[in-house]
Amino acid sequence: MQTRIEAADQRFGWMLSAPGLMLLGAVIGFPIAWALFTSLFDYTLIMPSYDNFVGLDNYVTALGDKEFGHAAWVTLTFVAAIVVVEFSIGFLVALMLNSTERGRGIYYIILLCPLLMNPVVVGLIWRMLLHPTLGIVNYLLGLVGLGPVNWLGDPTNAFITVVLVDVWHQVSFMIVLLLAGLSALPREPYEAARVEGASTLQSFWHITLPLMRPVIVVTLLIRVIFAIKTYDIIYIMTRGGPGDATDLISYFIYRRAFVGLNLGEACALAGLLLAVIVAMTAYLHRVMRKV
Amino acid sequence: MIKLLKPLCAALVSTTALASFAHAETLTILMEAVPDTEYVQALVPEFEKETGIDLEIEVVNYAEMHTKLVPQLVAREGSYSLIVVDFYWVGEFFKAGWMMPLDDYIAKDGFDVSPYVPAMMDLVGAIDGTTYMLPFYNYAMGMLYRTDLLEDEANKSAFKEATGMDLKVPETWDEYLKQVAFFTKGDMKGVVNQGLRPDPIAMEWSNYLFANGGEYMDDTWTSTLTSDAAVKALDDYKTNIDKYGPVGAASFSFDEAFNVFAQGGAYSYITYNFFRAAADDPSSSQVVGKTGIAPVPGVEPGKTGSLNGAWGWAIPKSSPNPDLAWQFLKWVESKDVAVKRALQGGSPTRTDVFDDPAVLEKYPHMADLKALLLGSHNFPTFTYTPQFVEVLGRELSLAVTGDKSSADALAAAAEEFNELAEKDGLKK
Repeated sequence: MQTRIEAADQRFGWMLSAPGLMLLGAVIGFPIAWALFTSLFDYTLIMPSYDNFVGLDNYVTALGDKEFGHAAWVTLTFVAAIVVVEFSIGFLVALMLNSTERGRGIYYIILLCPLLMNPVVVGLIWRMLLHPTLGIVNYLLGLVGLGPVNWLGDPTNAFITVVLVDVWHQVSFMIVLLLAGLSALPREPYEAARVEGASTLQSFWHITLPLMRPVIVVTLLIRVIFAIKTYDIIYIMTRGGPGDATDLISYFIYRRAFVGLNLGEACALAGLLLAVIVAMTAYLHRVMRKV
Repeated sequence: MIKLLKPLCAALVSTTALASFAHAETLTILMEAVPDTEYVQALVPEFEKETGIDLEIEVVNYAEMHTKLVPQLVAREGSYSLIVVDFYWVGEFFKAGWMMPLDDYIAKDGFDVSPYVPAMMDLVGAIDGTTYMLPFYNYAMGMLYRTDLLEDEANKSAFKEATGMDLKVPETWDEYLKQVAFFTKGDMKGVVNQGLRPDPIAMEWSNYLFANGGEYMDDTWTSTLTSDAAVKALDDYKTNIDKYGPVGAASFSFDEAFNVFAQGGAYSYITYNFFRAAADDPSSSQVVGKTGIAPVPGVEPGKTGSLNGAWGWAIPKSSPNPDLAWQFLKWVESKDVAVKRALQGGSPTRTDVFDDPAVLEKYPHMADLKALLLGSHNFPTFTYTPQFVEVLGRELSLAVTGDKSSADALAAAAEEFNELAEKDGLKK
């Protein structure tokens, strides 16, 4: 049973949150609801009208589209690749930085530089550096007798290249988050372990990893959610090519909307992507509450 | 005296008011980052001085143009007074009813459209007898080649020995392919291609298609992309990239491909004709004075494989100030200003600019460009052209990477072309 004071508190709480909630509703809730509504119609920018209700047809078309299926598969492998590589490098560097006493600030600044750059700029710079005949990377490889490497003109290489460029750009995010987790770990278990004669590897395996588990889960989930939405680097560097080697879902949806001008279907595709991201965010939320 | 002063004051007040009103007006135009836009920008101060109108030209890369335009065109009142339209958006913009007919303005001001090259008016001018655009510049594609390599005596005799043919500007596609193979030695390549999907590869390959005698469709809007000529065109394209081109050409956009040519890395490059002037710019080119341009050779002498292309000026229905937009349009497309643009290196669309003595004196290759334009082929333009370019780009790229055979890739492109043409109600 709620007391009067509790009820008044709750009302007051709602009152304080109302402006923020209304703003969120207007700038996020409304466009999402509108997009989901549009996804139920045959709505194109050439003939923009809500006359043709098609129900779930757009979703059925999207799910049956082989090209979309391929884009989903490419996105899955892309996300898996960048998250695994970024986590491995990120954790290693975070561990190293955590035991570094001097010059930590300088390392931070250097590591954060790529993260501060706009993905479009990152894509353009790397496209220039990786130009097979005029770029500096192949030139330097040539000096030691290697190459020239066909960075973006071969399907497998192009996929690996965009993964590596994304790693270069985003790995600092992992480092910063994991480092924050590491520096918050208590010192006592390590001291006890040292007294008991545990090796560094044993300390890592039996203390660091279990204590870091919640931070790791959260970091991985946030990175996965962002990675699924990757668009800029693909748009600038490969346009989904060569062939369809780097055709990610976000770029596919963009084409449906702004090249095909088929907003209804694009909204349905975006709805499907949103469902995946919402499910992951809900899981993330649960994990974070446990932490 | 007071009687005399009254109208004078009134006139003064209204003139000042008009002037300040006019000064407050701003014309906003969205344009692509290409040389022809720079030539317009250079002349803007003249227009602003003459009219007192502020002109803001927003310049973006091609890839962003369509995305930026569409939301503004759908809106009741957009932010662009005047826009430029690529030829393959024309069908879409027309169908959506985004462009304002210009015939009333043309009639009112007696603007003469007869000097425009007829093919230009067909492509980016009139649709079904109504004028929606004025042709801005043409980007018909041609073959850039190295004149110094063709004139070299050692090359001439070696080519004669190897092929039994004289080394000269190629007149047939077959002759051109032989030259491409001949000039590929070590770091020097016979050709550089722009294989990035979707439009760079789709536009470039179109020249290969026409050069082999192929076509996109027949009179009933049924695709003919499965023809032997089309398959050979794609095989030729793949061979040129794999065997006679620089590493990575399958991912090159036109600027990257041009850089290879401009740094002396390739004998030839089939591309937009505006690069002809850029090849002579010492700040970006190592082959100044060593470059020629010719129509892409066809199956037999006299036939060309060049793809036509152009941009048109249009006043969108969502324009906040269409009258002012027209005022700028008739100024920028007047013969005088068109000549001034051409003298900076612009690609004309008017015959009187091509034939202007001052233009010809400064750019003797203007005669080649006119011939190139007159013989070029059109890409199919209909409501779904952008979508078809996307499909074609994807399939061509899949063939280049070896994920599909030429025949399979073209069959897929043909099937989707037929579906789009049917959706647009064009199939007969």
